Formats: sequence, structure tokens, C-alpha cells
Amino acid sequence: MTARPILAVRNLRVVHRSVGFGPARVSVAVNGISFDIARGDTFALVGESGCGKTTTARAILRLIDASSGTIEYDGLDLRALRGEALRRQRKRMQIVFQDPFTSLNPRHTVGSIVGEGLIVHDLARGAEVAAKVARLLEEVGLSAADAVRYPAELSGGQRQRVAIARALAVDPEFLILDEAVSALDVTTQAQVLALIASLRDARVLTCLFIAHNLAVVQSVASTVAVMYQGRIVEQGPVTALFAASKHPYTRAMLDAVPVTDPRDRHARTPLAGDPGAGGGAEPGCAFYPRCPHPSKDAVCRAAVPPLRAPAGESAAGSAAGSAAGSAAGSSSGAEEAQGHGSAHLVACTKAVPPSL
Amino acid sequence: MTPLLSVENLTVTYARNDAERMAVDSISFAIEPGEIVALVGESGSGKTATGLAIMGILSANARVGPGSAIRFEGRDLLATPERELRDIRGRRISMVFQEPAAALNPVMCVGDQVAEVALVHGERDKRAARTKAIEMLGRVGLPDADERYRAYPHELSGGMRQRVMLAIALLLRPALVIADEPTSALDVTVQAQVLALLLDLQREAQTAVLLITHDLGVVAETCARALVMREGRIVESASVDDLFHAPAHEYTRELLAAMPRIVRPA
Repeated sequence: MTARPILAVRNLRVVHRSVGFGPARVSVAVNGISFDIARGDTFALVGESGCGKTTTARAILRLIDASSGTIEYDGLDLRALRGEALRRQRKRMQIVFQDPFTSLNPRHTVGSIVGEGLIVHDLARGAEVAAKVARLLEEVGLSAADAVRYPAELSGGQRQRVAIARALAVDPEFLILDEAVSALDVTTQAQVLALIASLRDARVLTCLFIAHNLAVVQSVASTVAVMYQGRIVEQGPVTALFAASKHPYTRAMLDAVPVTDPRDRHARTPLAGDPGAGGGAEPGCAFYPRCPHPSKDAVCRAAVPPLRAPAGESAAGSAAGSAAGSAAGSSSGAEEAQGHGSAHLVACTKAVPPSL
Repeated sequence: MTPLLSVENLTVTYARNDAERMAVDSISFAIEPGEIVALVGESGSGKTATGLAIMGILSANARVGPGSAIRFEGRDLLATPERELRDIRGRRISMVFQEPAAALNPVMCVGDQVAEVALVHGERDKRAARTKAIEMLGRVGLPDADERYRAYPHELSGGMRQRVMLAIALLLRPALVIADEPTSALDVTVQAQVLALLLDLQREAQTAVLLITHDLGVVAETCARALVMREGRIVESASVDDLFHAPAHEYTRELLAAMPRIVRPA
């Protein structure tokens, strides 16, 4: 058995309510997802815009409030934390945002951006702050002299390095990278990805890596979960997801990635429709309207398919999988016991044996 | 055969705080009718400035250097008066921008924005323009084009908005479309749809495309030839096959090496 996960998310649900004129509109951004992240692991959450991946990250960090479900970090119930306890917890978990042009205060110097966390959490005082900031900047590949510069004087890649230094300043255990390399040029992206991997290994960080590009995920993550309209539709070890993906959405996403060699060009039928947002209104599988291979019978539309081990794979904990049969996405004791670690699971009625 | 477009010795500088910054540094290239050519480079390489210079829509603080020439269908666009350029734009050359949400008019329904192209270019009959627009919206895959004619940009998804942009750009079957990062803001499954549509329309109308992109995957997927730009200069010009299999310039090799790729286990 694997060690106890450092982060355990169970049946997390986040509902957004529109504010403004007219009747309030409700959209379910995250619709009951569960996953585990083991200490030192890099877990990738992949999906297209509106699928709920960023909302999940923000709910974990308590930047927004979850509607229901539990988020447990190292035995602590994160949703119950208040005041000083929450502040202390935030030192342990940090985030790097997508756009380094908006995530850094343009009126603060690099030194004060990186040093702020040190002061807030009383990790350094006086001259110590500058010395620590200098070390951090060097650690992320900038120079100590950059401390006096402003974000506007830096390139996109340099700014993202500042954002990483800021996150690392408080010496966190857990780092969320929310599309941290998506806005960067391809050569810069490769450099920042390499930096993230080396920092993670050197500091033994646990990472939640959020991306919309499967190609970026493959090199950094050990476990991948694919989200679609607020739900995880497939998850498993990175090898299984790329070599033996079972969900038609995962496959479509893989197929949609452009070839890297013009000789590999091939005719293909792109998936129709839009990724959309705010699913959960229809009773069945959210992917059903776009699915290239929907069931002839009503099974796909009847209920949301639960996450189960795919046909022909004897996943760890498959004994518990059978008990999840009627759960249809709701919580069940067996599903909880099964864990949501690194086993390959898929939420598609056609990818799992009917007997389960 | 004379090329459809030939850019000769093009230089573009931007004035900022009394200093001149060179965005495009004496580049030359040509595009044949019906050809799809990629202009590849990272941000700041000058690829967008090149596209804007061809369209004649550079911002006020930009200046095209002396000795530059942009020949299109037998005339030098740089020596063409604005009045005539307006007739060429939208009819013979059109442009698709990266961010359809910013390129479309937010307070005008999308159908009217398509029909406007026909009306500006000589169509007198409003109803005919409307019919043409609906037909084109259907052609680019907007479901229920008849009803969606009245939709405003914010009511459409990013992918649908980019389809509307393609409808506007291709309505009058121009000889050249400059597509500036047309799929960079889109999700990967939607990018595949929009690229397929662009190729489809391009084949149908035999339009030449200058595809500006930073994504070599998009190049590998769609183009016959590619120009690699860096710091305002074209550092390599090659067929895509040569570019990917025998890159001549060190920077091209760097770009290729940095490309995120999915490794499919054997």
C-alpha cells in the first residue's frame, strides 16, 4: 500500500452564484470530485477552459469557499480552518498563477514581492530579508541584483521566475502551479518547466500541476486526472493515461494535440462542440452530447457514470470497485475506502465491464 | 509566375519615448497564390508587425522604413493611397486576429458584422448581404446560423467567435488571409476544429494564407513552407519537411527542441 496521502479531496463541490440583475444563476463549477496526492508526487489536473480545474485549486487554498465535500491536508480539515490556523496553513501551501503580468504588483519591486511572505510569516527580519530574497532569486535563475527591479522591466519568463521565488519564500511543502507555463513562449516554457522539476526534486515539494495541454503534463506529472464539466472523467498513472486512455474525451484531447512532425499529418475528425462550462443540469454523462461513440441505449443519459477500473485492467483496489456500482457519482463508503490514489479509473459506461 | 505577395526589404520601427525600436529588420519573402506559409516566432520577434504592415494597419507610432516594398497583385501597397487600400482590405486581403473577443464589435450582432463586409464592398441590397452572411455563418459551422445571426459576440463561445471571424475574413474569397495566431486562445479540441475549418475554406477558395504562430505544432499540421523570425529578421526559410527534419539555423533547432510533445509508448 502507498503511504497516506498528504492531500485528500473527497466529493468536492463548488457552486458559483451570479451576482447582478435578474434572477441569480447558479453554475456548478466543480461537481463532486475526489482525488489523493501522495507526498512528493506531482499530480496533474488537465482540462479545457471552464472544466473547473482552477476552481478546484482555489478551493483547496481556501481562496474561494467550497460548497460541500472535504479537503484534508496532512490530517487537517482545511475547510474548517479559521483565523490564525488558516494563516499558518497558508505558509505550507503556495500557488503560482498563470499570468505573470497580472499576478505581480506593478508598483512593488521584485525584492518586496518575494520578501513579503518572509515578513508576514515572520521568517526573517531586517537585513536577513534581503539576504534570503537574494538566495531565492538565485535559486530560480535570476540574480540578486534583480531585487531592485520592477515587474515591468522583466520578460514573461523572468516574471514567472519571480512568482515562483515568491511562492518558495515561505518554504512551502505543497505547490499549486495553475497553468504556470501556459502564457510563456515555447523556449521559455521549456526552461521554466525544467526549473520547476529541479526545484521540486531539490525541495521535495508535492505539486498540483494544472494545465490544459496534455503534452506539457507528460514530462512533469506522475499521476494525471482529466476533468470535464466539473467532474474527473479519467485518472491514473501518467503512463496509463497516455498509453491506454479509456475515456473518449481523454482520447479526443490526445488526438487534438497537433503533430510534432509534418510527416505525421493525418486526416482526423475533430471532436464537435465546445468544452462548455457549468454542467450538471442533465442527469447523464456530461460528455454525452459530444461523444463520438455514445451507447445506443439510454445508459449514457440515465446517470453519471462513476469512476471505476476500466475493462481488462486489474486495478489496485478493484475489489472495492464493485461496491461503487450504484453510487453514480455520489459518495459511497466503498468508494472512499478504495482511495483515489494512482489507480487507473475511468467514468465511462462503455470503458468498464458491464458486470462490475 | 509572379508571386501573389512579395515583401521586399521590409523594415518597421516603433517610436517610444524618443527612441526608435526596430520591430522588423529588412525582411524579404514571397507567397504564391493558394499557398499556406507559416511565419513562426516568439513574442517580440516582429511577426505581428509584419502582418500589420502588409494590411497597412500599423499603429500611429510605427514607421515603415524607406526602401521597403510590399507588392500584392501587381501593385506596391506602400505606395497605394488609403482610399484604394480600403477597397483591397476585406476584399482581396483580410486578417484573422488572435483574440476574437477583442476583434469583434461587442455591441453589434455577429451577422451584421459579417454582412457589413459585403455592404462596404459594393453590395447595395441589404437583404442580399444578409443572405450571404447567413450562408457563410452556416459554412463556418455556426449552428442555426439563421437564428444566431442576431447573437452578440458575448453570447458565443471562443471557438464560435473565431468561426465568425473566419466568416468575416473569407466572405469575399480574398486572395490572401493573414491569420495572426488564430487558434492560440482556443482550447485544444476547439483549436483542432478551427484549424480543420481554416484548411477547408482555404482549399475551397484557393486562398493563400500567411499563418502567424508561435506554435510549431500548428505549423507541422497545416503549412507547406515556413519562415522563422527572430528579433525582426527571418533566420530560416524552408519547406516544413526540411524545417522539421533538417533545420539549418540554431534557433530553429532550439524551437524544435523546446516543443512540448506527447511521447507515445511503443
